[in-house]
Amino acid sequence: MTMPVTDTISPRSYEISSLRMETDRFVVPAVTIFIAALLFFFMLYPLWAILKLSFFKGGEFALANFTFQNFQKYFTTAHTLNALWHSLYVSVATTVIVTVIIFFFTYALARTTISGKTFFRNIIMLPLVAPSIVQALALIYLFGRNGLITAHLLHTKWNIYGAAGIIVSEVLYCLPHAFVILYTTLSAVDIRLDEAAESLGASPFKVFTRITLPSAKYGIFSAAALTFNLTITDFGNPVVIGGNYNVLATEIYAQVTNLYRFDLGAAISIILLVPSMMAFMFNYYISRKTFSMISGAAKPVIPPSRPLKKTLFTIYCGLISSSIIIIFITVVLGSFVNIWPYDWSLTFRHYRFPSIAGYSAIWTSVWVSLIVGGVGAFLALVAGYVMETRKPFFKQFIYMLSVMPAAIPGLVMGLGYILAFNKPYYFFYGTPWIIVINIMICNFPLGILSSISNLKNIDPSIEEASISLGGDTIGTFFKIIFPLTRVAFFQNFVYFFMRSMTTISAVIFLVSATVHLAAIEIIMLDNDGWTASANAMCTCIIVIVMLMLGILQLVAKKTGRRPAGLVAEI
Amino acid sequence: MSKKLILENISKHFGSLVALKNVNLTIEPGEFICFLGPSGCGKTTLLRIITGFEQATSGQLIYNGKIINDIIPQKREFGIVFQSYALFPNMTVSQNIAFGLKMRKMPADLIDERVNEMLQLLGLAGWENHYPSQLSGGQQQRVALGRALAIKPSVLLLDEPLSALDAKIRVRLRTVIKRLQQELGITMIYVTHDQEEALALADRVVIMRDGEFRQIGSPWQIYKKPRTSFVADFVGTSNFITATRLNDKLKFGRLELSVAGLDNVAGDTLYLAIRPENIEIVGATIPPENCVPSNCVEVTTEVINFLGAVVRITFLLEGDEMLVDLPEKDFEKTGLQRGKKMTVYFPPDAFYIYNELFRKLT
Repeated sequence: MTMPVTDTISPRSYEISSLRMETDRFVVPAVTIFIAALLFFFMLYPLWAILKLSFFKGGEFALANFTFQNFQKYFTTAHTLNALWHSLYVSVATTVIVTVIIFFFTYALARTTISGKTFFRNIIMLPLVAPSIVQALALIYLFGRNGLITAHLLHTKWNIYGAAGIIVSEVLYCLPHAFVILYTTLSAVDIRLDEAAESLGASPFKVFTRITLPSAKYGIFSAAALTFNLTITDFGNPVVIGGNYNVLATEIYAQVTNLYRFDLGAAISIILLVPSMMAFMFNYYISRKTFSMISGAAKPVIPPSRPLKKTLFTIYCGLISSSIIIIFITVVLGSFVNIWPYDWSLTFRHYRFPSIAGYSAIWTSVWVSLIVGGVGAFLALVAGYVMETRKPFFKQFIYMLSVMPAAIPGLVMGLGYILAFNKPYYFFYGTPWIIVINIMICNFPLGILSSISNLKNIDPSIEEASISLGGDTIGTFFKIIFPLTRVAFFQNFVYFFMRSMTTISAVIFLVSATVHLAAIEIIMLDNDGWTASANAMCTCIIVIVMLMLGILQLVAKKTGRRPAGLVAEI
Repeated sequence: MSKKLILENISKHFGSLVALKNVNLTIEPGEFICFLGPSGCGKTTLLRIITGFEQATSGQLIYNGKIINDIIPQKREFGIVFQSYALFPNMTVSQNIAFGLKMRKMPADLIDERVNEMLQLLGLAGWENHYPSQLSGGQQQRVALGRALAIKPSVLLLDEPLSALDAKIRVRLRTVIKRLQQELGITMIYVTHDQEEALALADRVVIMRDGEFRQIGSPWQIYKKPRTSFVADFVGTSNFITATRLNDKLKFGRLELSVAGLDNVAGDTLYLAIRPENIEIVGATIPPENCVPSNCVEVTTEVINFLGAVVRITFLLEGDEMLVDLPEKDFEKTGLQRGKKMTVYFPPDAFYIYNELFRKLT
C-alpha cells in the first residue's frame, strides 16, 4: 500500500488520438441520420405513395388530380362499405372478450397463489410461435362444415365460418399480447395497497372494485387498445375463416389481387389506417401513464389465497389454457392424419407439399428470418444506444418515427411498398431483400423499446467512466455496451426471427413468383384446398420457432441469466 | 506535474433553475479540495462541469493557462471516480485498470507494467483476474481508483466515492485516498455531503449552498470560524440563541449575557451560535470562580445520550432545546441524572455572532 509510484512511463507519449476524437464527433449524427433516412424511405415514403394513389387520379400528385372518387366509390358500394362495419364489429367484440378473459387470467397469475403458474404462462404465450392463421385452421377442423365437433359429434349443420369464426380465432390470437401488458401492470402495482385497504376493514369485493381494478385501469385500457389494433389489422385468420364475411384487411387484398384496383386498395388502406392509428395513439398515451403508476417499492410477495379462490382460478386458467392447447394439437395432428376426420391413420403425405415452392419456401423463410433477426436486433440496439445515452439533437423525433410502424397495419405497409418501389431502378424490389427490410421496419418499434429499456438498466456512469478514460463512441459501444446487453440482444434476435417466420399481412404483397415464404404458403395451400398441407406448413413453422426459442434458452443459461425479459418483451 | 485549475465566474442554468451562481476558485497544483454541501447545492453539477460532461452556461474553466470549456472529456485527461464505482462488469480487475491505457494505444508490455504497479499501490495484488461482481464494495472502489490513476491524470475528480460503503471501510479508504494524494502529488477535487470526510481529507473545504460558495477555508477555519450561521449549523453542531442588544450585553429571556466581540457586529437582534463542547458545566468542567456570573444559569437535564467518548445532555433554556457535550470521564464526576438540576456556563468568547439566520431546514 505504501509503495511509492515510480514515474517510469510518461503517459504523455500515449495520448488520446486527436484524429480519432475528431471523427468520433460525427458518429452519433451519422447513425442518427442513417436511421432517420431508413425510416423515411422505408416507412413514410410508402405511406405517401398510398396517400397519393388514394386521393389523386393515377397517383399523380397535382391539384387538378385531387379526387374523392375512390372514397366515394367505397362508401357507396354496399359490399365494400360492409367491410368497415364488419371490421369494427369483429374488433370491438374481440376487444371486449379478450380484455375480460385476460384480466381474470392475469389476476390469477399475478395476484393469487395458484400452482402451475409457469405452465399457464407458457401456454398463454404459445400463440406467438405460430402465424395468425393457426387459430382459423384449427377452428375449421373442429367447427367447420366438415368439422370434427360440429358435423361428426353433434351432427349439426351450423358451422363457424363468418363473424363468429373470426372473433373466436382473433380472441385466441390476441390473448398473449394482452397478457404481457396486463401482467406487467398487475404484478407491478403495490400489493400492500390491497393489504392496507383490508386492514382498514374493506371486504374482498370492495378491495377488488375500489383498489385492484382502478390501479390496473391503465393496463386494462392499454391491453384493450392493443387487442383492437391487432384484430382490425389481422389478415391471416379472417382470410381463412371469414368466408363471405369480408373485413377491411381482406377487402384490400381482394381489391388488389383479384380486381387489380390498386387505387381502391389504397383508399381502403387509408380507411383502415384511421382506427388503427387511433388505437395506437390511445395506447401510446395510456402506456406513459402506466409507468408512472408503477411504484418502485412494489412488494412481490403475495399473501396466500383462500382455497375456494384458488380452485376457481385454477379451473378458469385450465379452461383458457386447454383451448389454446387444443388449437395447436388440432393443427399438428391434422397435418399427420390421412383424411381428417374420417381416416385417422397417420401419414407423412401432407408434408410432400403440392405447391411449387414447398420446402424451398421454408428455407427462404429461415434465412430471411435469420437476417432480419441479426440485423434487426443490431439496428435496434444501435438506435436505442444513440437515442438513450447520446441524446442526439432530434431524439424525440427519431423516437416517434421508430415507434410509428406499430400504428401501421402490415398489409398497408406491404401495399405501400408495391406502390413505392415497383420501379425498375429499385433493384431490391422482387427480391427477398425487400421482405427483409419490410419485416424489420414493421417490427422495429418493439425492438427499439426493449433495447431502450435494457439500456436504461446500465448505470450511466459506466458510459461516463469509459469516456473519461478516453473511450470513443464506437469503442464504448463494442467493448462495453454490447457485452452488457448481450442477453437482451439475443432476445431481440429471437423476437425479430419469430415475427419474421410468422408474419403474413406484412409480406403477402411482397412474395412473388420467385420468392416464397412459408407463412404465405399456408394461405396458398389452404386456398387451393390443400388444408392438411397448410397445417403441415404451419407445423413446420411452429417447430422452427420453438427450436430457436430453445437455443435462446441455452444461450441465456450459458451467459448465466434467465431470459426473463422475453415474456415482457414480446 | 500538476497545473493550476481556475474556475472563473462559472454559472449553470437548467432552464429556469439556477444550479450554480458565478463561482470563483483557484485550485493550486497538488491541492486537495473538498466541495461540501447539502444535496441540491450544485456540487455535483460543478464537478460535472470540470469533467466536461456538462457545459457551463457562462464563465470559464482555465487549466494550465488554457480555457478548456470546449475540450471534450476524453481530451481533458482528468481521472474520475464515480459514486457507483462504474466498473465495467464484463471486464476483470486488470482489464478495468488497463482500459484507459488501451484507449491510448500503449504497448501491451507497458500496460502490464502499469497495471501491476496500480495493483500493488492499491493492495489489489491477487485479485487481478476477478470480476467486479466478485469483489467487496471497498475493493471495487479501489479498482475504480486504480483505473482512474492508471492514466496518470494530473487532476483526479471524485464524486462522493465513499458514500455507498460501510462506515468502517469508509474511514479506511479515506486514509488510502489521502495517502495516495500525498504520495502522487496529484490535485484532487472531492465532492461529498459528509462533513467529517471533508474535514478529514481536504487542504481546503468549499462550503456550498444554493449554487454559491458560502465559505472557503482550511478545515480548522471552517470549524472554528464559521462565517455564516449556515456554516455554523451545517458543519458540526451548534446551539442557536436569538438575543437582543442591551448596552454592552445581550438579553436572552431572563439572561443578560456577556459576549466577546459584540462591537464587531451591527444590528439589534443578533443570533448566537455555540458548539455543545464549548458549553461548560459549573463544578464539573470548570470551577465556579472562573465563571462570569451573568453567563451562568441553572437548568434541568431533559435527555442524556451516551455517545461513547462524550456524553450529550439536552436541556431547556428559555423554552429552547440546547445541547451540551462533556467528556465521558467528566460526566461520571457530576453524577447527573434525568430531571436533575445543573448549572451551565457560556464562556463569553465561545460564541459566534451573526446578524442573519438562515432558514433552518428541519
